[in-house]
Amino acid sequence: MTAIISQDDFLVFREYFYRKTGIRFESSKRYFVDKRLIDRITANDCASFREYFTRLRFQANGEELQRLTNLLTVNETYFMREEYQFDCLTSHILPELSEHLPTDKIINIWCIPSSSGEEPYSIAMQLLENWPMLRNRDVRLLASDINTRMLDMAEEGLYSERSIRNVPPTWRARYFSRVGDMYQICDELRACVEFSHVNLANPVEVRRQHAIDVVFCRNLLIYFDDLSRKEAAESLYDVMSPGGFICLGHSESMGRISPLFTVRKFPEAIVYQKPWEES
Amino acid sequence: MALLQKSGQPRPAPDDPTGRILDVEALERCLHDPSADIRRRAAADLASCQQATQWLLTQLQQETIPSVRQVIITSLTRINTTEAVQGLATCLRAEDARLRNDAIEAMKQMPDAMAPVIEELLQDQDPDIRIFAVNILESLCHEQVENWLLDVMDNDASINVVCAALDIIGEVGTEIALPVLERTARRFNDAYVGFACDLAIRRIADSRPAS
Repeated sequence: MTAIISQDDFLVFREYFYRKTGIRFESSKRYFVDKRLIDRITANDCASFREYFTRLRFQANGEELQRLTNLLTVNETYFMREEYQFDCLTSHILPELSEHLPTDKIINIWCIPSSSGEEPYSIAMQLLENWPMLRNRDVRLLASDINTRMLDMAEEGLYSERSIRNVPPTWRARYFSRVGDMYQICDELRACVEFSHVNLANPVEVRRQHAIDVVFCRNLLIYFDDLSRKEAAESLYDVMSPGGFICLGHSESMGRISPLFTVRKFPEAIVYQKPWEES
Repeated sequence: MALLQKSGQPRPAPDDPTGRILDVEALERCLHDPSADIRRRAAADLASCQQATQWLLTQLQQETIPSVRQVIITSLTRINTTEAVQGLATCLRAEDARLRNDAIEAMKQMPDAMAPVIEELLQDQDPDIRIFAVNILESLCHEQVENWLLDVMDNDASINVVCAALDIIGEVGTEIALPVLERTARRFNDAYVGFACDLAIRRIADSRPAS
């Protein structure tokens, strides 16, 4: 028998998931949420939403919550998405940081969410191809996501034709190899992106990072409500180095989230900067 | 120099007492730490702790670093109790405009906790406080907002407070505002008030469904 999710069940679950992840599902997402909840209720042999919800909440290892989170946070992305920000990174952000930072300081770049790795690998290619100063500066690429399945896919680095459609042919030839009808990112790039599990709504998890110079946090905060967005921005501020930059998605504006960052307008993109000093 | 190979090891973090699991009393002590970074983290970690409301409010009054202040206000917003709202409401009397504005923005996000306090603020002796209260109503998601604004228009003696309410009613007023708008236009024999009331009446009339 298929379980039924009532309106009350939906509201109870929505509030719980919001507290855990900062993500709030509008009523228009009801079908999307219900379908995945019912799948997990069935997979767990639970007779009702209530039985499943009790298991979800009180399971000590949190395994079921992670499985459900994986189902509810799938977002399709692709290589070189909103690539004008990557151009901004190599044309303005990194040169400016390099000018201010000691020459032996490693520049830390963090992608959150990393999804299945398209963004951090795109940044890696952008740096290798378009930032000659990489010869004089060490850069560490970090990438995190709440979805462990996405992280596994990112580590594996296997992509469809559709996913790499915006990658220039010369880059394809250099960094991908064909595996059946898929494309495998090369070992050199896979070896230089450090993936980790982080829930941006949990400040303690965010604090596993520190001294971050550039954050790419694109198209995630749109799923948060105002207060969770502000908390997330403050968590990111906390782990960023003074003068660090944050890049949001094209429809997101830090001005509507938090006053902590300074707006920086570059020819390619508007980004946000943590002040070098706080008065 | 190059892209660094991943190490698989966590990077050593600088020593930070809030990075360890702390009880709330220890976090309270961290709120007074000389390091702004530690104060900010302690304030963030106290967001889940209602008993920290007074600690956060006390620190808010003393705190000089904007980012720490922001995080304290965010944590009070997350705590979202009438006690937190009452504490934030005292910031409306602060000399510091940024603190006042931050408190207003926070209170807009706490509609349920705000309801018992807003009526007191709308009755405050100081017209500036009453204007700030009207500013909060501008985007407070509460079903009583229109009634509170109409009450201001009917009863507040200050033309500036009434104009602040009138601006919002002009945007969000419904048919129940019509008699109040007419009374307000008569109560203040003032060209701007008359103009704004007429405009609001026309907008409400235009938005009536065609019969």
